[in-house]
Amino acid sequence: MLKKLTAILLISAMVLSGLFAAGAKEEAAPSGPVSIKIATWTSNQSQLDLLGSFVKEFAEKEGIEIDVTFESIAFAEYNTKLSLELQGSDAPDVFWVLETSAPAFIQSGLLAELDSAMAEYDPDDFSKPAMQLWQKGGKTYAVPFSTSPFFVIYNEDLFRAAGLETPAELSAKGEWNWDAFRNSSKKIKDATGIYGYQTVDGGGYNERILHNLCPIIRSYGADVWTADGKILINSPEAVAAVQLFHDMLYKDGSVVPPGDQSDFFSGNAAMTVGQVSRVSKLSSASFAWGIAPMPAGPEGDVPVIGQAAIGAFSKGKNVEIAKKLVAYMTNEECVKRIAGIWPPARKSVLESEDFLSSNAAVKPEQMAAAVAASIKTGKVLPSHVQYPQIEVESKIVWDRLWKADADVKAVLDDVAKVYAKYIK
Amino acid sequence: MMKKQIQKLNKGEAVTGYLFILPQMIGLMIFVIIPLVMIITYSFQNRNFLFGNLGFCGLENYRMLIDDEIFLMTLKNTLIFSLGVVPLNLVLSLALAMFLAGSAGGTSVVRGVIFLPVITSGVAWSIVFKFLLQGGPTGPINSILSIFGIEGPNWLFERGWAMFSVVVARVLKNLGMNVLIFMGAVMNLPQDVIEAGKIDGAGRMKLFSKIKLPLLMPSILMVMIVTLIGSMRVFDTIKLMTDGGPEGSTMVLVYYIYHQAFKSFSIGYASTIAVVLFVIVLILTIFQWSLRKKADYYEN
Repeated sequence: MLKKLTAILLISAMVLSGLFAAGAKEEAAPSGPVSIKIATWTSNQSQLDLLGSFVKEFAEKEGIEIDVTFESIAFAEYNTKLSLELQGSDAPDVFWVLETSAPAFIQSGLLAELDSAMAEYDPDDFSKPAMQLWQKGGKTYAVPFSTSPFFVIYNEDLFRAAGLETPAELSAKGEWNWDAFRNSSKKIKDATGIYGYQTVDGGGYNERILHNLCPIIRSYGADVWTADGKILINSPEAVAAVQLFHDMLYKDGSVVPPGDQSDFFSGNAAMTVGQVSRVSKLSSASFAWGIAPMPAGPEGDVPVIGQAAIGAFSKGKNVEIAKKLVAYMTNEECVKRIAGIWPPARKSVLESEDFLSSNAAVKPEQMAAAVAASIKTGKVLPSHVQYPQIEVESKIVWDRLWKADADVKAVLDDVAKVYAKYIK
Repeated sequence: MMKKQIQKLNKGEAVTGYLFILPQMIGLMIFVIIPLVMIITYSFQNRNFLFGNLGFCGLENYRMLIDDEIFLMTLKNTLIFSLGVVPLNLVLSLALAMFLAGSAGGTSVVRGVIFLPVITSGVAWSIVFKFLLQGGPTGPINSILSIFGIEGPNWLFERGWAMFSVVVARVLKNLGMNVLIFMGAVMNLPQDVIEAGKIDGAGRMKLFSKIKLPLLMPSILMVMIVTLIGSMRVFDTIKLMTDGGPEGSTMVLVYYIYHQAFKSFSIGYASTIAVVLFVIVLILTIFQWSLRKKADYYEN
């Protein structure tokens, strides 16, 4: 009996001492490389390598050793996983922030203030409208690394097969509007049997609903809601805009419908909407493709910009280094090198000739027409400190739109009611 | 003297016993008791994932439940889902078990096929079903239906059909385990009782309803409890196939907890819903357990 007891105690002591030893080992390692974890929603290896090279250069500049790890989180799950990680002990030191969640992240105090770290890299070079979302009380909490307008990417082969002019050709003639867009989409579907349009990343009925509808709504002269709290989603202009998309989907049958996994990049749709960073997905495309600005509406061309920023975790283990790293990664030199993937908010880079030829896959004239021009006049998507709640609750109402007999006005009235609960 | 020695020995054995169950108890504390206490505590707090604990709010979260139309809808959806899954699962698994236990040969392949989904990852299963149930004429199941001149619905994006689809996917995923349990029970039915019934002139239906079914009742009730609790905790099938849509028609309680906690970051409110789910499952289990005593004629 005594022997048994002694054996159990000995084993317990060995296990516990092992555990404590492991803990002590971790704590007793103050010197050596600094561990920095960076969370992103890209998993593109060449993009991650580019970011990794910035970290390496920063470490050399600071005379420190940095052991960097990148964590790629899927876009649809990004906020969920990131917010969960920020509560734990293995939180990222530096992370990308989505435009729609900017107010919530800033107000929660999870983002470190960056002004002192940015001081040495000419912060005035950032365009003021681009910085608006990321500042509060005159202080900067994240730096936009991407101010990327949405544009139309099209399959040129399918346009030729249907005997149509391409969006770029129509755009050059000033005839690229939503009616032409709808017309092209329908004719391609009728002529080839292939869908004319796939929504942004196929998520236009779920997490990308505003990315999908906002460009049409704004070019019709309305908005989802405004910064001063006006809800315009059920205004006559917005209803007309959403009706156009609904008609394309159910009357024309030319849009990849909800539940169908047909993909533009696999050649199963003639058009989609994307940003410069999506162009890399076309490197092995089996078809000729092109890009064109978003179609114009009755209010003209009102581009929508997708913005993403990078920030430092205010409660991280290496917050000072993280802040400096964010400032370094968004300096003029680094921004120049990523400009071809993520269009910059730095005026010096944006206005340079080099920017137009910064992406090898996109011709300078395409870059000028579909990207550079749109950055100057474009607007980011609406955001709100309670955006996550708004998104969850409104999704249930938005779903009612995806029926052939849906009353668009009635659905948008109900969406407006959900918005009104949060937006005052 | 002798008594004292025995007491001493018993004490020593008790300590050894406690030491042996210590790892299990530590696990139970860390993974069950502490989270449960935390969830109950959080349910009385205005706690947010991003903003932290914004203070004690008393019964405010519980009061909010009454006004929360989505919560009431998820309660209804959970009930519909369970009412779909439990009877369908029980009837199918019992029928298959009777068939398989009765057949003489060629059943190992069938048994394998039926059990295969159980060992398949729930994520892979749901993704495959989502692919099969694509809307429009290009969806694989709709393509098959079109051969017979039937225009299939947009399975996962139409109310009603979406719930039907997730119920079927869930039932087929877990059917194998219940078939296995029922097969064990069917094969262990006392043959003398069945023989006696046959001699007394009982037909197949009477034999099943008056002899086999009552004898199988302990297994049926056990399977019913496990399947019901499992159906109330469904997450992966909903998350991957419908994301709670369309119009929240497949938003069940657990998925709403996930939405509140990890999408809206309202961890306090999500904990409140979790407490409600805990109470519902507890009441149902107690009710079924008490039913078991009444319905189980043959249990010792």
